[in-house]
This record gives sequence, C-alpha cells and structure tokens, in this order.
Amino acid sequence: MMLRLNLTLLVSLIASALYLVQVQYESRRLYTEIERAHAEARKLEIDRERLQVDKRAQATSARVEKLAREQLHMRPATPAITQYVTLKGVAQERAQ
Amino acid sequence: MSGRVVAYSSSPLLASRTPVWRSKFIVAGIALGFVALAGRAAWVQVFGNEFYRKQGEVRFARTLELPANRGRIFDRNGLLLATSVPVPSIWAIPEDVEQGRDKAKLAQLAKLLQLPLPELMKKLEEDERNFVWIKRQVDESTARQVAALDIKGIYQRKEYRRQYPEGEAAAHVVGFTSIEDHGQEGVELAFDKALAGKPGSRRVIKDRLGRIVEDVREQVPPLDGKDLQLSIDSKVQFFAYQQLRDAVVANKAKAGSVVVLDVHTGEVLALANYPSYSPSNRQNLTGAQLRNRALTDSFEPGSTMKPFAVSLALEKGLVKPDTLIPTAPGRITLAGSTISDSHAHGDLTVTQVIQKSSNVGTVRVAMQLQPREMWELYTQVGFGQRPQVPFPGTVSGKLRAWKTWRPIEQATMSYGYGVATSLFQLARAYTVFARDGELVPVTLLKTDQAAPGIRVLRPEIAQEMREMLHLVTLSGGTAPKAQTMGYSVGGKTGTAHKQEGRGYAEHKYRGVFVGIAPIDQPRIVVAVMIDEPSAGRYFGGDVAAPVFSATVQQTLRMLGVQPDMNVKPQIVVQAVEESI
Repeated sequence: MMLRLNLTLLVSLIASALYLVQVQYESRRLYTEIERAHAEARKLEIDRERLQVDKRAQATSARVEKLAREQLHMRPATPAITQYVTLKGVAQERAQ
Repeated sequence: MSGRVVAYSSSPLLASRTPVWRSKFIVAGIALGFVALAGRAAWVQVFGNEFYRKQGEVRFARTLELPANRGRIFDRNGLLLATSVPVPSIWAIPEDVEQGRDKAKLAQLAKLLQLPLPELMKKLEEDERNFVWIKRQVDESTARQVAALDIKGIYQRKEYRRQYPEGEAAAHVVGFTSIEDHGQEGVELAFDKALAGKPGSRRVIKDRLGRIVEDVREQVPPLDGKDLQLSIDSKVQFFAYQQLRDAVVANKAKAGSVVVLDVHTGEVLALANYPSYSPSNRQNLTGAQLRNRALTDSFEPGSTMKPFAVSLALEKGLVKPDTLIPTAPGRITLAGSTISDSHAHGDLTVTQVIQKSSNVGTVRVAMQLQPREMWELYTQVGFGQRPQVPFPGTVSGKLRAWKTWRPIEQATMSYGYGVATSLFQLARAYTVFARDGELVPVTLLKTDQAAPGIRVLRPEIAQEMREMLHLVTLSGGTAPKAQTMGYSVGGKTGTAHKQEGRGYAEHKYRGVFVGIAPIDQPRIVVAVMIDEPSAGRYFGGDVAAPVFSATVQQTLRMLGVQPDMNVKPQIVVQAVEESI
C-alpha cells in the first residue's frame, strides 16, 4: 500500500517537474516573442517620428513659399484681391 | 596464438582469497567521496551561496537603460519646431580592431565618414580605453554602408538627435541642444528641465543568443519629457524673418530684429533676428549669429520713446492733443546743451509733435513733468525691468533712478536718449497704447485666454495717442511706408545715433519702428529694429517701416483679421525727415 502511494507520488513528481521545465521554456519563448514585438513597436514609433519630421521639413513655410513662387508662379494674397464674407451668425455675435 | 584456453569459471584467480581491507578501503573511499560532495554542496548552497548567485547573475543578467524621449516643441498650431529622432553613431573597441588586416577597410571607413585617415587611426591608437566614439550622429545611409563593411571592433548605437524643421527662421526662439541632449540656447535651454525627462531602467535575463527571456525585477519606466507648445506661429515667424532678412541685406545693415506680439493674449507670435544660423549645422558659428538681439541687446530707442512722455503729459492734463507748442527755431538750449530738430517747424500741436517727431516739441512738453512721474511711467511700462520671459540672457535695459536725473537728462530721456531698452521691452511697452492703457504680460507659451492687463494710462489717453500714432503713418508723418493695404496702422519711428565708447558715432544709426495694427481695434504690436543700415537710407521710417508694413500685412491676413479700410491703390506720399 505504502509502496503504491510512494510510486504514485514519484511518478507525479517527475511529471510535474517535466511540466515545470516545459512551462519555463514556453514562458521564456513567449517573453522573447513579446520583447521582439516591443522592439518592433519602438522601431515603428521611431520611424513614425522620423517620417513626421520629414513631412514637416517638406512643408515648412520657407519651402512652400519658394515652390509657390518659383514653380507655380503664385503671389501672396492682398486685401485688394480678396473677397471678405461675413457669416450672419458671426456678424450677430460680433454686434453683441 | 598459442597456449591453453582456460574457462572463466575455472580461473584460479577467482579462487584466490582477497584480503578484507581492500573492500573496506574501497567502501571508505567512496564514502569519503560522498562526504566531499556533500561538503561542497553545502558550501555552494549555504555558505558561499551569495557569491555564486552573483557570479551567475553577472553572466546572464543585464541592466538595460530605457532612454526617455526629450519633449517635443510645437508652435501654436501644433506644427513641429523641434523633436528628437534616434540616429546611428559609430563607436569602436580599439583593442579589437585589427589594423594590419583591415587596413583597406579602415581607409574606406574614413572616406565614408569624411574623416581624415590619420585622425581615425589616432582614435584607434588609444589602446587603454575600450570605448571610443568614431563619429557621432551620422545619417542612416552612411550607417548602413559602414555596417556593410563589417569591420571587427567597429560598432553602432542609436543616439537621439534634435531635428529643427523650421531651421534658421526660428533658431533664436527654439535654440538647440548639445550632442548629449542638454539644452544650450533658447527655449531648449529655458525649459530644459521640463523637456528632458528621466530615463528608466530594467533588469533582465538574457539567453545565449542575447534575447531577453525574463525580467528579474519590476521595470522602472522612463519618464518622457513634457511637450511644449509655444505661442510662436511658425508662418508669422517665417514671414517676419524673411522680411527682416531682406531688409537687412538690402540696407547693408549689420543686423536686425523683429518682434510680433498678440495684443489680446500677450503671446509672442514671432521673434526673429538676423543674422541667424541653421540649428542642425552649427559649425563655425559666430557670436553675432547666435545672439538673440531682440532680448539680449539693449539700445537707446530714440524717438520711439516720445509717445510715453507725451501721453503722460496728456494724462496729467498738462497739454491737450491740439495744444500749440512752439518749436521754432528748431533748437532749444537747456543747461548749456542744445537740442535740435532736423527741420525747423514753427508752432506745432502736440499731435504734430508726435507725427513729425519733433525733439524740441517733445522736450517742451516733457519738461512740464516731474522726473519722478516720468520715471514711474517708464518703470510701469517695463523699461529698466527684466521682461518676465524665461529666456537665457534677457536684459533689463537701463533706466536710472529719478533722483539722479539732471534736467538735461530728463529732456533727452523724453526722446529716447540716456535710457536703454531691448526691442522686446519696447514692443511690450507699446501694448499700453494698443490695449487702451493696459500693459499686457507677455508669454512665450500658448494660452487661449485674454491676459489681464495692468492699467497704466486712462483709456481715452491711449486712444488719443493711437490717433497720433496713426497720423505718423499718413501723409505728413515720418513713416508713410508703414502703411499696409486694407489695414489701418499706427506707430512711431525712431532713428538713433549709435553709442560708441563714450560718445555717439557720427554715421552709425539704428532705425526702429514700433507700431500697432489695426489702429481702431488693435490686434498686434510689431517692433522692428535695423542695426547700422549703410546703404544710404537710415531713417526708421525708411528702413524699419517697410518691414513693419509687410509683417503686419501677412500676420493679420493669417490671423484672419478683416481689413478695416477700403482697399484702393495706395500712393506713397512724400515723407518728412524725422529728427535724430
């Protein structure tokens, strides 16, 4: 009787030990995976920041002004060539 | 092969008796072995445990620094003015570089990094150190080519570099950081603490391949720096800078500054200086380029001071706008010194004194004031006081205590000599006229609320003064060139001899214009200073007023302010010369 109990315990101990190893391995594997995902996220974030700067650099007033003037032959708007429209609601608001 | 075959079971050796001590010896030996093992186990597990645990950790546990992002700087519309982007830097472990074998590759590396080969070699000579920067912050494509060379002992790592999309137009406001990411100038320095952030750290276990498999303890997350939103409007900033640059170049001037303030909120919409610099390429920078003149240079403002003394006289009821002031013969002698106008005018009303910028008229009005009253007004509008902006190197200007004033000094101070101010202070002081007598606190950070002002003058006095300032820009005034299309403007010119040593330089001037627009419902104050114009014209009305005009025109359009005048073709009228 005692022997059977001991044997059962031994078998379950070995099984649980093996399972522990398996779980540890799995957890580390998953951890690596999540680390890789984090790194990827960081990299994407950096890329986004970089692209935003690039986009901004392409759209600075200096560049827009130069392109508009030289390539598109535009000139700054002056009140002489601007039609001003006041919305009714706004006009009332201002009057108050 | 020869000899008898003996079966194992009948081997005589089996029959021989072995002595008992031999088996006992073996047993004892094995037992001793176990004892040694147990002892060792006890040592490792119990007594020396701490040591071995540490040794183990050293081999697989690593502390990683988690870098914090430096805060970004935005303009009032959320456009980027500064941000950090990681860029590769090249470093080396000199010991590991095999100079003999990789000679050709190292030459290629030097060429890629645009370093002279001897310099590169010198860096690699430093055997003592196991870390040496080869070149910091190179661009991505260079880094890829370096990586492709695959030289032993040469490595890369990411470093943060600040990017400034607006470049030189906003350089003085935004400033820049050092290669170590600390603020050096401008807002980067002024708000360095808030922007900087705090790096975090984590302790991890790495496996054989260098992959992270476990966190040993709780992470300390990095605290990113705070983002800043400035009051600067990058479009206004750019146009103001562009106009200023063109004017400085056209007038062959030494330098120039322009300040644009929002009258309602006290926000600085633009603050530009020329010469400027490109923040991303700071080699061979000179002090002249770096100086944020609008805040750090004080000068004698000349005639732009006249409205203050005159409005005080109006406020005290000493004169009225139509009071006649005799200015003939264009000279006045006070305590042995003579003050003169560039043109003799005869009798002028107080309004005309401002419009034609008569020194004699201003002095006659100002001498009716007490020195203390004048000093109080000057102090209230911020002269001699450091502006409340957190900017490095901001000057307070110069305003002496009234008790030490001699009459001649009171006279010269009324038209802007013997008192010094920065352009920024001057612009702010003019908010008194723009805000119906209230001085507005200025800010570099965006706010949405109208700032409460401090009352200095009665509203009707400020309105009267605005009317006079408006006349300055009309026919018969000193600055018709300040006119804009569609918007009524008002302002005051100033042309001052530059101080040199103890006296005044004969042919060195400073042209200034400070103005308000639109004049009836002021929205902005614009101040322009051109230092040493030397292309023939040097009056504030000639060199600074056109910059004012163009800046006002663009700024009001961008702010969506509707024109308050009928638009008709404008005729530039003949200007009178102002007094210096």
